[in-house]
Amino acid sequence: MTREIVIEARDLVTSFGATIALRGASVAVACGEILAVMGPSGSGKSTLLHCLAGILVPDSAEVYFADQRIDTLGENRRSAPRRDKFGFVFQFGQLVPELTAEENVALPLLLGGARRAEALRRAREWFPRLGLEGLERHLSGEMSGGEAQRVALARGLVAGPEVLFADEPTGSLDSLAGERVMNLLATAARDQGTTVVLVTHEPRVAAYADREIIVRDGRIGTTPATPAPTGAARRENQ
Amino acid sequence: MTLLGLLEWKPSYGYDLKRDYDGYFGRDKPLQFGQVYATLARLARDGKVAAGESEPGGGPDRKRYFITEAGVAEVDIWLAEPAAPEPHLQPVLFTKVVLALLLRRPAESYLDAQRTAHLQRMRELTALKQEGGMLDTYLADYALFHLEADMRWIDMTAARLDALAEEVRK
Amino acid sequence: MIPLALRLTLRSGREAIIRLVLTAAAVALGVALLLAALAAISALSAQSLRIGWLNNTGTPNSAPTAPGADPEWWLTSYDQFGGQQGREINRVDVAALGPHSPVPPGIPRLPGPGQYYASPAMAALLRSVPAGQLADRYPGHQVGTIGPAALQSPGSLVIVVGDAPAQLARVPGAVRVTSIGTGPGDSPQAIVAVLGIVALALLFPVLVFISTATRLAAARREQRFAAMRLAGATPRQVSLIAAVEAAAAAIAGTAAGFGLFFLLRADLAKIPFTGQPFFPADLSLSALSIVVVALSVPAAAAVIAHIALQRVRINPLGVARRVRARRPGAWRALLVLAGIGELAYFTAAGHPASLNGQLLAYLGGGALTVVGLVIAGLWLTIAGSALLARHAMSPAALLAARRLAASPKVAFRSISGMILAVFVATVTVTIITSMTSSHALQTGGAAGKDILVTDLGSASQQNPTGPPSGVTVPPSLATRLRGVPGVSVVLVSHLDPFGTADDSLVDCGQLALLPALGTCAPGAAVAAVDFQPHGATAWAHHEVWPTVSMTASRLGSLPASGIAVGTDGSTAAIETARTLIEVAFPFQAAPATVFETQGEYLLSAWQQLADVLILASLPIAGCSLAVSVAAGLTDRQRPFSLLRLTGTPVGLLRRVVGLLRRVVALESAVPLLAVTVVSVGLGLLVAELFLNSQLGLNLLPPGPAYYGFVAGGLLLSLAIIAATFPLLARITGPEAARSE
Repeated sequence: MTREIVIEARDLVTSFGATIALRGASVAVACGEILAVMGPSGSGKSTLLHCLAGILVPDSAEVYFADQRIDTLGENRRSAPRRDKFGFVFQFGQLVPELTAEENVALPLLLGGARRAEALRRAREWFPRLGLEGLERHLSGEMSGGEAQRVALARGLVAGPEVLFADEPTGSLDSLAGERVMNLLATAARDQGTTVVLVTHEPRVAAYADREIIVRDGRIGTTPATPAPTGAARRENQ
Repeated sequence: MTLLGLLEWKPSYGYDLKRDYDGYFGRDKPLQFGQVYATLARLARDGKVAAGESEPGGGPDRKRYFITEAGVAEVDIWLAEPAAPEPHLQPVLFTKVVLALLLRRPAESYLDAQRTAHLQRMRELTALKQEGGMLDTYLADYALFHLEADMRWIDMTAARLDALAEEVRK
Repeated sequence: MIPLALRLTLRSGREAIIRLVLTAAAVALGVALLLAALAAISALSAQSLRIGWLNNTGTPNSAPTAPGADPEWWLTSYDQFGGQQGREINRVDVAALGPHSPVPPGIPRLPGPGQYYASPAMAALLRSVPAGQLADRYPGHQVGTIGPAALQSPGSLVIVVGDAPAQLARVPGAVRVTSIGTGPGDSPQAIVAVLGIVALALLFPVLVFISTATRLAAARREQRFAAMRLAGATPRQVSLIAAVEAAAAAIAGTAAGFGLFFLLRADLAKIPFTGQPFFPADLSLSALSIVVVALSVPAAAAVIAHIALQRVRINPLGVARRVRARRPGAWRALLVLAGIGELAYFTAAGHPASLNGQLLAYLGGGALTVVGLVIAGLWLTIAGSALLARHAMSPAALLAARRLAASPKVAFRSISGMILAVFVATVTVTIITSMTSSHALQTGGAAGKDILVTDLGSASQQNPTGPPSGVTVPPSLATRLRGVPGVSVVLVSHLDPFGTADDSLVDCGQLALLPALGTCAPGAAVAAVDFQPHGATAWAHHEVWPTVSMTASRLGSLPASGIAVGTDGSTAAIETARTLIEVAFPFQAAPATVFETQGEYLLSAWQQLADVLILASLPIAGCSLAVSVAAGLTDRQRPFSLLRLTGTPVGLLRRVVGLLRRVVALESAVPLLAVTVVSVGLGLLVAELFLNSQLGLNLLPPGPAYYGFVAGGLLLSLAIIAATFPLLARITGPEAARSE
């Protein structure tokens, strides 16, 4: 049985000034799967992720989330899914340096209008789950890189998003810390049925995904860009 | 298989065959003549190569060997099929790439296929780590790192194919 | 959402708190300035309303007659005291004709003959100087003090003298009134305009300071906003947060500004901005202006923050991909040229007729030029940096030039306050210097201040109806005048029976004693003179008066038309002489030196205001420069410290720090010098155009005080830049290179 497609993009074309980042890439992500987007640097894989997440508006394409076009929405409407439907984990620069860890995790909830006490309560639940006990009141500058990334992961997942976008989440971490982050990411995503789009150039990170696509020079590579039944069957067996 | 591939590239005498092999693949370990002729005899028996006219001078080294259609098909299959992902694959992968370039086959797609196979194996190993115990994790990590090393080499080679092709075809 | 925004604002780290505090301080300064200006303007209006009674002429337009009021005689006259630094004395002579004659404000009842009411300052003056210099002018004794309701300022010299009705009735110019009008006195329009200009000119550096303060640690703030956008904040939410931050600082600043103003109000009142101090109560603000300022400043801050953020476009990925902004082009110089062109046009075509038209023309041209200077300054900075890059000899110069080219706005903003101060100072000082110099020419230089001239009235004035009978100067007066220490010459001029009404005749022998008033032709005995200065050519020392054929002895029999007294310029001599003459010839126009008659109190007021402007704008501009340089250092803390780290081994380390110092110095000093030169030049040009078109004067080079100011300002700026050097060494220490 084929899974329903939660995110799809057809013929993405994006350029920055004179540089063309994506030349007609198409990809579809099934609900609940973990997709790895691989490729050499400069290939456009981060750009692909940004387009899928609605952060970047492609020059021409159709981008669908849950059967709704998002590339044509205005700035405000495109920001809305980022609070509760999408979650993000980037390589760095995502935590607000002056807020404590728990406030950072609670931020999407606060921005969505939740009351402070409730938002903090939900945020705190994530700390023991990700091995961050005791770090709730710490600032991001007082934590190691691995801890900060796990806080970022908690923030990405706190609102129970449908899709988690991760761009080189272990890029600045050593093997063990990276391993830990990926483990937690995969486990948490599977537990909640979250779809994950994971950009990485490291095979060992991509190994946590159900399937991978290769982006080369702005195009998707030769491996199949749509989910194969085997991948879904594997998931169902677990 | 390597010799068969070389024969496809051009029909050779046994002596030339060994020289070519040593030049490309045998830096550390040159082939023995005996090995060469034994392999050639076997291949001829299996119908993959055919021996040409015996030239004056006698001896097996005076025969020119040609590859047959069956032999060509065999080379094809061997190239296209990815090697089972194991650590220590350098000789095999390397050989495949060079031959593919010599024979003007699409080396890039061979590399892609290999990459996919490697990733599949890595996925299996990672799943094993998440379900298994500590020992399993250690073993799986070892394999994963080596597979990753292979993949890095695959990526680099893929990026350098043009330069490599020039070098090889000289 | 707003409580969240507030919490984010206050929790945003040390740099953000410093930014908040600095912005609030700058806003406080601006608000205090604004309030002071508003209060001063309202004070001027109140003042002018209060002294309307002095100009009472009893016309039907003045206040309606109270029922049952009796008439009275009324005469307003003006006198001086104090010579060159002198002040005006407003004298009112009144003679009641009945028990219910109207009483002027400030006194309980009309003074009778031999009585007078004096303002507190006048009373103090009367007590402090010898009677012969002042008190003898007013027959009688003081019976009371004039209250503040009738006075313009605490320092006003006003005296209300009672006379016998019969005496006052005979004086030409006295009017018979039954009410006292309270219409406005001198229109304060001109002084209000000048005050407004100065307030605006002071506001510029404050605005620059505010904008510099708000940009402190802007990079960190943008990073924070990007992180929030990633967490799902909409652009509107981010704008809201920025607006809340700006409004919070503005509210704090406004409150502090109000506090500052009320605290300093009493001291502010004492400063004679317009020549006279204010009553502190005059410096009041209407409830409307308080409400408007209190509400509009924070609202404006929030709106400005919102607009500024719209242009930045913070996307969730931060501002990593910065699109190369358009280079400021040479078109920016157009505005300056337009302003200059407008002023030049008026130079050629002559200035507009009405005062309002003139104000519009010159203020418009001036404003265009100033705004144009600010806009063009950016282009100048880039041009200067390109020049520097081309001729860069050292790595420091190259680094500085490239950085200037990369962010010219930042560099220019930091020095724009100083530049504006220099420009405005140049214009005002040059204009005032030229005016004063030509003024001095008009008033005969030193001689204009030493010679007391009395006009005893022309023939028609002395006896409007009949043949000229004239007055005579009693010999006792002449003797007593000569006896005053400091008086050197007493020259009496006589009515010319045959000449024009303006002519007087003098004895050439006596005129020779006062060469400042001109000379006779050689060998002449009597000459026809006209001591009333007309236009710019009067009182040239080389004036040769035409000879009249008459003998000197015949002069004595002619009625006198005026007295000129040559003194040594001391206050005692001038005032004693003045008093003697006033007592001898009461109710005439008071004797005055030429300087006093031409006295431009407005000019001295301008001078005062210009001094205030210069003194105040310099520290403000210095503050914004300091803040901006420090901000620039902290922004580049990381690259600088990394650069410094590459300077090991130790010997090289010192060289690298020296390199960084040179870079910082060049970055600030180069644009500063370039734009200073340009703004001085522009200022001189603007002053020249204004002088030519409005006053027909030529530009005169300003005095040493001006050069001192410009040099001082530059040195101060360089000192501020140098003061950040120790900071540089400390904040680029190795810890700063650590990843955040």
